[in-house]
Amino acid sequence: MKKMKRSSLFLLALVLSGSVMFAQQRQIEFTEYDLDNGLHVILHEDHSTPIVSVSVMYHVGSKNEQPDRTGFAHFFEHLMFEGTENIPRGEYSRYVEKSGGTLNANTSADRTYYYEILPSNQLEMGLWLESERMLHAKVDSVGIATQKQVVIEEKKQNYDNRPYGSILIEVMKRAFKEHPYRWTTIGDPDHIRAAKDEEFQQFYDQFYVPDNAVLVIAGDIEPEKTRQLVQKYFGDIPAGEGEIYRPDVVEPPLGGEVRDTVYDNIQIPLVLHAYRTPAMGTEDYYALEMLSTLLADGQSSRLYKSLVDEQQIAMQVSSFPLPFRDPSVSIAFALPNMGKDIEELEQAMITEIEKVKNNLIDEKEFQKLKNKFENDIISSKTRIAGIANDLARYYTYFGDTDMINSELDKYMSVTREDIKRVANKYYTKDNRVVLYYLPESQKN
Amino acid sequence: MKRYFSIAVLFLLMVSTVSAQLDRTTPPEPGPAPEVKIGDYKTFTLSNGLTVIVVENHKAPVVSYSLTLDVTLPREDNAVGYVQVAGELLRAGTTNRTKAEIDEAVDFIGATLQTHSKGIYARSLSKHNELLLEIMSDVLLNPTFPQEELDKLVTQYKTAIQANKEESRAIAENVAGALVYGKDDPYGEIVTENTLDNVTVELCKNYYTSYFRPNEAYLVIVGDISVKDAKRQVRKYFGDWEEGSVPQNLFPYPACYEQPQVAIANKEGANQSTVMVTHEAMLTPGHPDAIKARVMNQILGGGSFNARLFQNLREDKGFTYGAYSSLESDERVGRFTAAAEVRTSVTDSALTEILKEMERIRSEPVSDEELQLVKNVISGEFGRSLEDPQTVARFALNIERYGLPKDYYETYLQKVESVTKDDVREAALKYLKPGQAVILAVGNVSAIEEKMKKFSPSQKVTQYDYYGNVVEKKAVSGDIKASEVIEKYIDAIGGSEALTEVDDLKMVMEMEVQGMALQVNLFQKRPDKLYQETVMNGNVVSKQVFDGEKGKMQSPMGDQVLEGEALTQMKESAKIFPELTYVKDGVKLKMKGIENVDGKETYKIVVTKPSGTESSVFYGVEDGLKYKEVAQTPQGTVSTTFADYEDVEGILFPMTMKQVMGPQNFDIQIQSVELNTGIEDSRFEVN
Repeated sequence: MKKMKRSSLFLLALVLSGSVMFAQQRQIEFTEYDLDNGLHVILHEDHSTPIVSVSVMYHVGSKNEQPDRTGFAHFFEHLMFEGTENIPRGEYSRYVEKSGGTLNANTSADRTYYYEILPSNQLEMGLWLESERMLHAKVDSVGIATQKQVVIEEKKQNYDNRPYGSILIEVMKRAFKEHPYRWTTIGDPDHIRAAKDEEFQQFYDQFYVPDNAVLVIAGDIEPEKTRQLVQKYFGDIPAGEGEIYRPDVVEPPLGGEVRDTVYDNIQIPLVLHAYRTPAMGTEDYYALEMLSTLLADGQSSRLYKSLVDEQQIAMQVSSFPLPFRDPSVSIAFALPNMGKDIEELEQAMITEIEKVKNNLIDEKEFQKLKNKFENDIISSKTRIAGIANDLARYYTYFGDTDMINSELDKYMSVTREDIKRVANKYYTKDNRVVLYYLPESQKN
Repeated sequence: MKRYFSIAVLFLLMVSTVSAQLDRTTPPEPGPAPEVKIGDYKTFTLSNGLTVIVVENHKAPVVSYSLTLDVTLPREDNAVGYVQVAGELLRAGTTNRTKAEIDEAVDFIGATLQTHSKGIYARSLSKHNELLLEIMSDVLLNPTFPQEELDKLVTQYKTAIQANKEESRAIAENVAGALVYGKDDPYGEIVTENTLDNVTVELCKNYYTSYFRPNEAYLVIVGDISVKDAKRQVRKYFGDWEEGSVPQNLFPYPACYEQPQVAIANKEGANQSTVMVTHEAMLTPGHPDAIKARVMNQILGGGSFNARLFQNLREDKGFTYGAYSSLESDERVGRFTAAAEVRTSVTDSALTEILKEMERIRSEPVSDEELQLVKNVISGEFGRSLEDPQTVARFALNIERYGLPKDYYETYLQKVESVTKDDVREAALKYLKPGQAVILAVGNVSAIEEKMKKFSPSQKVTQYDYYGNVVEKKAVSGDIKASEVIEKYIDAIGGSEALTEVDDLKMVMEMEVQGMALQVNLFQKRPDKLYQETVMNGNVVSKQVFDGEKGKMQSPMGDQVLEGEALTQMKESAKIFPELTYVKDGVKLKMKGIENVDGKETYKIVVTKPSGTESSVFYGVEDGLKYKEVAQTPQGTVSTTFADYEDVEGILFPMTMKQVMGPQNFDIQIQSVELNTGIEDSRFEVN
């Protein structure tokens, strides 16, 4: 029984970091193929627990939205539980739960993911449900009206009312001027309010088509029988007709430090640096991720040790790159201890970053970094649900499902020199957004 | 070649037959149910009394060591927080290692090492496990509780308290804990800046020496390790741990309430309320009722999409992103909680629905379908949880700790399956107490206080702060009357003489609605003439006119001649400065005390117009200005705040207004105010 909740701040880190996942050292075996309608199918067999995960990743996220309809992809995710031609409103989740399964979905800037985890004898149920969703989901105006309210409450609960909940929104709108990453998945509630019912149908027809999706079935399955069932339920879903909107905006360089203050309902200030970084999957990205870990992951990390333990000017530090498909940002932030000056704290952060830029990290610390990645990657691949998500993501982002097995090598081939190099290349003044979060009471 | 071809044809034929037969309108039937197997575990006891549970699982090269003390915690009195601090400090230095050395060693192997007041958790790749155990046993056996690390932690805790004051959930937890258990109960004690000041190294050491004893502890080892290796390791690293007698703390079971306790707490600037219904529950782990109670709670508000609270509050009403209930068993005092974050305007409606659902499951049998669904949800969850070897370990620990029958979990699903509708209702009657619960809302207190009264038979609503202390309503200094506040306001904005000289007024306001800019032009003329138009993209989209007697509204929905109540209300709002004639107009004023509005002390006055419309208006104690008005309208509660007063020809007008109406939020900027420009009467003609 905890008497004091300290979770809020840790939650924040969680919210911001999303799920940063790695590859796997243990070989994950899978087979993959395409249906005639373009649906990509990945099967992974593992009989250790009698469960099966059925999931579909659609290659659509907030990135594919129009600037006056932000939040659409995420809102759509809510609507996709409303029902289909054959499944009345509210029954979708009932079928899953009646089968002893669980379901959920999530949306990012780059993709939308739906999954059911079921007892393995209910595989066909999962396929029926996901194929219904892909073939002819149905949304009535009652559902739209209700989910509009739900999503607006979601925004308040997770963004407006959560201390620092607006961080990503505030960072992204300053770090990007052209690219759709300038808004976040929750979007602007007014856009959702203003959307007409027929716009949802258009969105569905464009993006929710087999040739824009990958179906992953993982767990206690027989591959041959599963293939037949996949054909049975998904084979006759027509391919998409129109062109799929994929913005290919290249964001120009930031062109100088952007510095701003945000006043929020908080008690403790926060200082944040967001450095523009290359896309996930590029060589520099792996080095940057290791740099980020070096700086603030673990109690012996550079920032933690220096700012929290030694100087005692911070109560918490954190650092992570946003795992996005297009070039995005890497974020480092710190919360000062009570009564400590936020500018002094920022200066101390910069000093630590300068050390990485000027001196090669020593062999021992580098080995520590590699051990940490090895540990994280191996430990993160023990659940069927996580493996399924990774398979879907590697295929959707890179068209290379086997990266689930090869990505660890990319981290392991990063050198000490690479870390120093990317620190100098990306962690520069002109390439960052600096935000001070200050309590509302300090505003005047 | 031919053979290959024929197989391919056969396959195609079979596939097409299958799809021709596909009937999408009915869900597929499941195959035969798979067998759910719970993994094995081994237990043994060291001579110092440490009980060890080993669960072998070689799927990943990872092993974890989890040490749990089976003790009841003491009361912490004026040093609340020291038990938690002691737990965290275990890994902050030993006789062999500084904190930095511990951190470095743990991070070097990419491991995890967490310590807490009731144990230690450590995990690493199996190839590093000897190194990990060396550090783990060092922090367990030789902690030094360094003063400077204690000071650091206390500073961090204090900073965290500051942050939690802005978290409505954290406020709710504190207040609910204080009310359910009592502030003298160890479960209800609250960590404050003051109690942290009383935390000493000595207290931490005493706690450690008294409670960290092998004879009251379990060590659970899970993962890529053999039982033989585990035995050897445990002897080597934990064999020297000395046994000792551990204090037994006995506390009375908290007193139950006779009637609902209605509580509120303020969260500045909240546009949502955290609502909660909670009370104690006399339910111990493994109690014969535990499974029935779990089924009951799952139907009411467990984590499933089809639970009643989720369906009612989210899917049906759209009040919230999620509404859930929990019924936790505990060796001392169990607890029931139903909670949600809802928009401010439905704070009371949401609580009404939660209470209604609690009553319904107590008074009506659940349907067969609902019961079966929940049983399936529970079995499914049980099956999925077995993917994680930690689940097997948790089962084993529960069996040992709570003395459950050895087959408790093997027969768990049978027990779930045998729960009947009567069982559910009995469990609801026994473990849900809507009539004796703490009914709590944390949010904008001035908007929710009145609405909360209905939940208390005696209309009593008590306000608490973050620390669970009662907030005394500040007495109004001297015996200042409501009418004096109004007079002070009139003086503050310019004095009655100046106000009386205003014959007409023209005000231009701008606001943004759904991304579109709107302009509102307001014209008023004495005695009660009003004209207001809303302009979008240069076009007038709606109009309100009142000539002193007749009124009309024009909007895209058509024209409407105002009658009855609407006409009276229009007349009441047509005055330029209504406060000037409150007495003459028979407006009733009631002083409600001092409240905070955006950090300013204000007098809260309830204004009742002759038509019966009521609003709460907040006037600054210091400067007399109007800062806020909350009006009840047919469309719901409308709250308006006023700021940035500026002088216009000797009279102060607020240049910024924020209006909140249900989920909508309008920021209104006053562009211009003009006085006595000689507006023609024709402007106000109603035709």
